[in-house]
Amino acid sequence: MKPQNDNPLLHAVLNVTEVVSVLWWKFFDWAAVTAWKALAAVSVIVLILGGFIGAGPFAVMLVLSAILIKSVAGGKRRAEIAATEAVTRADVESLERRLLEAQMAALQAQIEPHFLFNTLALIGQFIATDPKRAAEVHADLIKYLRAALPQIRQEGTGQLGQQLALSQAYLNIMRARMQERLSYDIEIEEGLSDAQFPSMMIQTLVENAIKHGLEPKIEGGSIRIAARRQMDELWVEVSDNGLGLDLHIAEGMGLTNIRQRLQILYGSKARLIIETPFEGGARFRIQLPYLQG
Amino acid sequence: MMVDQRKATALIVDDEAPMRDYLRTVLANAWPELIIIGEAANGIAAIEEADQLKPDLIFLDIRMPGKNGLEAALELTRQSQVVFVTAYNEYAVDAFDRGAVDYLLKPVDPERLQKTVLRLQERLAEKRAQTATTNNVKVSDDEMNHAAQSQQMKQLLQQIMAQQLQQVAPPRQYLRWIQASVGNALRMISTNEIVFFRSDDKYTLVQTDQAEYLIRKTLKELEDELDPDEFWRIHRSTLVRVTAIAEVTRDFKGKQMLGLKGRSEKLEISRNHAYLFQQM
Repeated sequence: MKPQNDNPLLHAVLNVTEVVSVLWWKFFDWAAVTAWKALAAVSVIVLILGGFIGAGPFAVMLVLSAILIKSVAGGKRRAEIAATEAVTRADVESLERRLLEAQMAALQAQIEPHFLFNTLALIGQFIATDPKRAAEVHADLIKYLRAALPQIRQEGTGQLGQQLALSQAYLNIMRARMQERLSYDIEIEEGLSDAQFPSMMIQTLVENAIKHGLEPKIEGGSIRIAARRQMDELWVEVSDNGLGLDLHIAEGMGLTNIRQRLQILYGSKARLIIETPFEGGARFRIQLPYLQG
Repeated sequence: MMVDQRKATALIVDDEAPMRDYLRTVLANAWPELIIIGEAANGIAAIEEADQLKPDLIFLDIRMPGKNGLEAALELTRQSQVVFVTAYNEYAVDAFDRGAVDYLLKPVDPERLQKTVLRLQERLAEKRAQTATTNNVKVSDDEMNHAAQSQQMKQLLQQIMAQQLQQVAPPRQYLRWIQASVGNALRMISTNEIVFFRSDDKYTLVQTDQAEYLIRKTLKELEDELDPDEFWRIHRSTLVRVTAIAEVTRDFKGKQMLGLKGRSEKLEISRNHAYLFQQM
């Protein structure tokens, strides 16, 4: 014998209680959050219908309890519902934002095939003429690839020291190629190496400086990276003395990408600031909250 | 036969010195008789050197400062055989293949290089044979032939350059950066960041997502210089970025008001500009 057939009456009563309870809470929610106007209109209809079918007292009770619920529990219940919805929305949003950031980080500063092939040709040349330099460039290329390949690059925030090491490897390679046309200088305030810093942003700025500032300039120039703490912010500056910005060429994907990623990661607490110093060239500064890694 | 035995000469052009060495090494192996008579580090220097040295061949890097390889080639193809050198199978390579233009890919694959060298040797021999016969009889025909060839080459180069321009450098007719003086530098504000401009007495206020700046440029000047698809004039004193617009509503007096994405302020739309939003 199946248990539910033991006492059909009890079962039916339980079922009905459950249905009534569900209906009651639905009614409660509705009464609590509905507008006063709607409540009044529905009340009138319920009273009229109740009168017709001879359930006047029940209709009156229903209306009275609805009004009671509305005045006592209305605000609180509405806030509760809104809060639950907001939490769900926030969860979904934060998940979506994290996903978006990860995708954008992968897109940031993708390795240019042109760079890769040129560097390989360079290593080939040094193998024949200067094996020691070949080994150096080779080591720098590996360091660069480890940090820059999206497939193996760590997502989200990295560390400042490691991000600077990546750019240093890249700049070493570029200096081996451009020789006296490129010089660089990296300065980091003590104790900042472990500070959190999003991946590939400095590298994007460095590649921009080479590509748009220095490579097109016949005599070349220099790049300077400086990282310092400013109150509770971390400031990282990439400046060059190259051709500067062309006012009529829209900013590239790289810069737009940095700005959007900063917005996703830090909201209004982070900024990308671009300046042309009066002595020429271009200066890019990322300011974001200082967080120990 | 005398002519064929003269050794071919070449000029190497690349902005990176190690790359010039690289080409020297590679060519020394594949074509030991070739004499490298000079080097240049950019397109402008290449044209000067070529004028002076009159090489048979010019190995020309494409990405270079000053004049890039394609631009330089337009002036160089008249007298010398140009061979482009590129580090990557980029836009131009397809066009080179279709137009039978010679090129080398860095890093060089020895087998491919051998083929290219053979082809270059054949071409040079052909050219010399032509010049030899030209000295005797068929003057006009061959010269016209040569002129036609160089004309073809020019057209091809121009095609590639146009294509390259589209990919690398977008059209530069509109203002894309606004400059505001802040401290001892000029702050550069990308038009992507700007929400709206509002004229404010003698100055114009620039509102970005995160900050405000005052600049001296008038709204009228800005309107003339900015991309009309990027910024719309919605009022005598307001210019708004189209992609920042969220909604258009009416206030209690029936005035049209513009709401902005992620911002609380509303901007008034004047009657004269209401037509902009009739479809919305």
